[in-house]
Amino acid sequence: MNDIRKLRNIGISAHIDSGKTTLTERILFYTKRIHSVHEVRGKDGVGATMDSMELEKERGITISSAATHCEWKGHRINIIDTPGHVDFTIEVERALRVLDGSVLVLCAVGGVQSQSITVDRQMNRYRVPRMAFINKCDRSGAEPYRVARQLREKLNHNAVLMQIPIGLEGDFEGVVDLVSMKAIRFSGEFGEDIIEEEIPPGLAETAEEKREELLDAASMFSDDLTEAILEERVTEDLIHDAVRKGTLLRELTPVFVGSAYKNRGIQPLLDGVAAYMPSPLDVENTALDLDREGVEIPLSSGFEQPLVALAFKLEVSPYGQLTYLRVYQGRFAKGTDLVNTRDRKKVKVGRLVRMHADTMEEITEAGAGDIVALFGVDCFSGDTFTDGRLNCSMTSIFVPEPVISLTIRAADSKSEDRMAKALGRFIREDPTFRTHVDPETGETLVSGMGELHLDIYLERMRREFDADVETGIPQVAYREAVSRRADFNYTHKKQTGGAGQYGRVAGYMEPSGDGGYEFVNQVKGGAIPTEYIPAVDSGFQSCLAKGPLLGMPVLGMRVVVNDGHDHPVDSSEKAFKTAAVGAFRQAYPKTAPLILEPVMKVSVECPSEFQGNVMSSINQRRGMILSSAEDGVFTTVDAEVPLAEMFGYATALRSLTQGKAEFTMEFAKYAKVPESIAEELKAEAAGRRKGGKK
Amino acid sequence: MIIDFSSMSPLRILRKSSQKGLGRGNLGVLMARAGVGKTACLIHIAFDKLFRREKLLHVSLVDVPEKVTSYYNVIYSDLVKALNLEAEHETRALMERNRMILAYLNQSFEIERLRRNMNNLKEHIGFQPDHLIVDGLDFALTDRAVLEGFKEVAVDFNAEVWFSAVSHRHLPGRNERGIPQPLSEIDDVFQIILQLMPDATGIHLNLLKDHDTYGDPVASIRIDPGTFLAVSKTEASSTL
Repeated sequence: MNDIRKLRNIGISAHIDSGKTTLTERILFYTKRIHSVHEVRGKDGVGATMDSMELEKERGITISSAATHCEWKGHRINIIDTPGHVDFTIEVERALRVLDGSVLVLCAVGGVQSQSITVDRQMNRYRVPRMAFINKCDRSGAEPYRVARQLREKLNHNAVLMQIPIGLEGDFEGVVDLVSMKAIRFSGEFGEDIIEEEIPPGLAETAEEKREELLDAASMFSDDLTEAILEERVTEDLIHDAVRKGTLLRELTPVFVGSAYKNRGIQPLLDGVAAYMPSPLDVENTALDLDREGVEIPLSSGFEQPLVALAFKLEVSPYGQLTYLRVYQGRFAKGTDLVNTRDRKKVKVGRLVRMHADTMEEITEAGAGDIVALFGVDCFSGDTFTDGRLNCSMTSIFVPEPVISLTIRAADSKSEDRMAKALGRFIREDPTFRTHVDPETGETLVSGMGELHLDIYLERMRREFDADVETGIPQVAYREAVSRRADFNYTHKKQTGGAGQYGRVAGYMEPSGDGGYEFVNQVKGGAIPTEYIPAVDSGFQSCLAKGPLLGMPVLGMRVVVNDGHDHPVDSSEKAFKTAAVGAFRQAYPKTAPLILEPVMKVSVECPSEFQGNVMSSINQRRGMILSSAEDGVFTTVDAEVPLAEMFGYATALRSLTQGKAEFTMEFAKYAKVPESIAEELKAEAAGRRKGGKK
Repeated sequence: MIIDFSSMSPLRILRKSSQKGLGRGNLGVLMARAGVGKTACLIHIAFDKLFRREKLLHVSLVDVPEKVTSYYNVIYSDLVKALNLEAEHETRALMERNRMILAYLNQSFEIERLRRNMNNLKEHIGFQPDHLIVDGLDFALTDRAVLEGFKEVAVDFNAEVWFSAVSHRHLPGRNERGIPQPLSEIDDVFQIILQLMPDATGIHLNLLKDHDTYGDPVASIRIDPGTFLAVSKTEASSTL
């Protein structure tokens, strides 16, 4: 089937525990991709098909997005199931980048929750049209009408119900379709048989009222529908066309209701995906022309155009590295060469597969709009592939900066290699997971999007790589600096038999404006012979690596040497270098040295009702709030906060805001540590020195 | 450290004001045609307050905080030169400590929201502004109730509130008190009304309303169009 108009690339994303994995499972069942149904935490011990990683099955949450595809009434649907936890938003971001539309799954009890808000904001960023599915209508406390209202109020969606529920909670039996004005019930062991019947009399009035709302909303996008309403000749096709138009413009959100767990409402949702979600032709995609300084070029979704495909996800499978590709333009076949535009290297397409959770189907060709996977291609997530006719790059996927770091070390020598191998693999798979070795402490640091994010990788190291890893507490990189001018005049003199050592250096040290080190030679009349000047400079520089207060590097110092003395026999480079070290030690305490700490620019986004809590949390962390911006129902608070106070902030913020806030931080500057903290740090450093001496 | 900015501040115009200034609980407005420099002049008023170590809340109804911050930074750099400020980093720290920016984007502004945000600032971080600078309010679309809401905020938080307002060349005349549109119907809400007027000789800042007095013919100062600092006293503007 090559009709691109009937292709749908959709994501299913929402708050954790909204039931999206169960929903995906049912979609696969009804589209006959799987032949039995397993629950996420089912008693049969099999686990849901999409949760293919062992850890996911155990925890009942989806960690990696698993891609799959299915067919429904002549439409091919590629689905990426995305994780719900806030720590894994890179997965959601990636999915949204390559998808053309998305189904926002909401819990009929919990309503619009934190992650729904986060995910919705991400969908806005990528201009993804969406529809909503209010799941769990069978649950006690289900209130789908309230949830639809929340969609309007909290997320600012022009949400319009396409269905209303027949019964709720334990009495939830099916839905009334407001387009066909028929009641739909689901029978059979897994709700596979659909029975259409008249609307129950008790619901007729509500159905009429909600259909009016639907027609009002949809008619905004179709003059034909408006006319038809006035002339009372509305057809289903007119409604579908208008709703589709509004959805593609992202000005209308069609809302469906059901219960995936109880097998009710899934087939009409699939009808909705086919009817209202965009095909690749409906979405404008662009790439950056690398031969023309990144000028944007439109991509056309044509099969005959030069190939452009994006590697949006890497996964390690038992058969080697699996690279997920979204083809935007053109086509390619097994056995052909692709060019990675990042390094201009050619790769041959070996195995080409279409993914179905953790099983796969071999295919020979892929074309515009497709989501497929390649085996054995060496690349990074975010790389663009072409057939060589174009040299372009897809706009890079937005990658949030890691917010937490931990030191890790292998518990034994066997684990060292395994840990290194695991780290190498994880950084290729996940751009939000980073690792580096601290040059000062020699420790390996891993950074990620939150404690759970790192926790999962550490656990994967243990399980998949058999690496026994110990974790430590992250250390802040403090610095030292001089705060005022101080003079030095130091003579190094050593005569203990044999060749003596002699050198005198005089001058001053003071803060330099730019944070760097500056050496100024103002020696006149050869008071220090020219050949010894570099040794003096080197002596001062050697002191900067470890400042006397904490043993941390010294920033922003200018050293001016204006006098000195040498000895015709005993002076040497070594003697002058030692004299400079002595001069540094003599003057440094007189410069009123400071301890500096890294200060981060922190930006917290939260629903506006949490502004006060967020401000308090920043204030308690010695932060200085710079601004607060209100936008719709959200507030963004920008502040500068010392890094030392930010550890554990993700967890604290989550608990303060019911998990509805997210934050980013980046280095802003070094700033003076308050006196009381400086004293503590000095005492700790002195303790370490004493400990070291013992 | 208090920096004496009074001789060069545009607010020098209020030296001879009947109450020596706007006064807490009151609303003042600076009006000008688009592009004359309202925001720059308003930020100079902000610096006048910040240099006195008073706390200032900048409320932006259009620009994102980064843009507001960059306005301040550019004007601050000019002031450092013009005033020969020493210990520049201390002054900058003073500015950052005493200034807060609240931005309301995409029509998010409501008086109640401002009030809530100001309460949060007061209760959660102890920031209680002495002055509010409100930039970007569209007076052509703002009804009296909103301004009365601001007046209540000014009284309840014991703060001065300064606005910028765009006047349009194409809009007809002034009211009988000499106040042009879009303030001609609502001038009673403001205690001080200033107008920036460009002419061939430069930019003049005219005092159109000083509490109960309208159109004091001698109250005009010339503003340096480059720095927006007060230059010298000029003759009364012919527009008064």
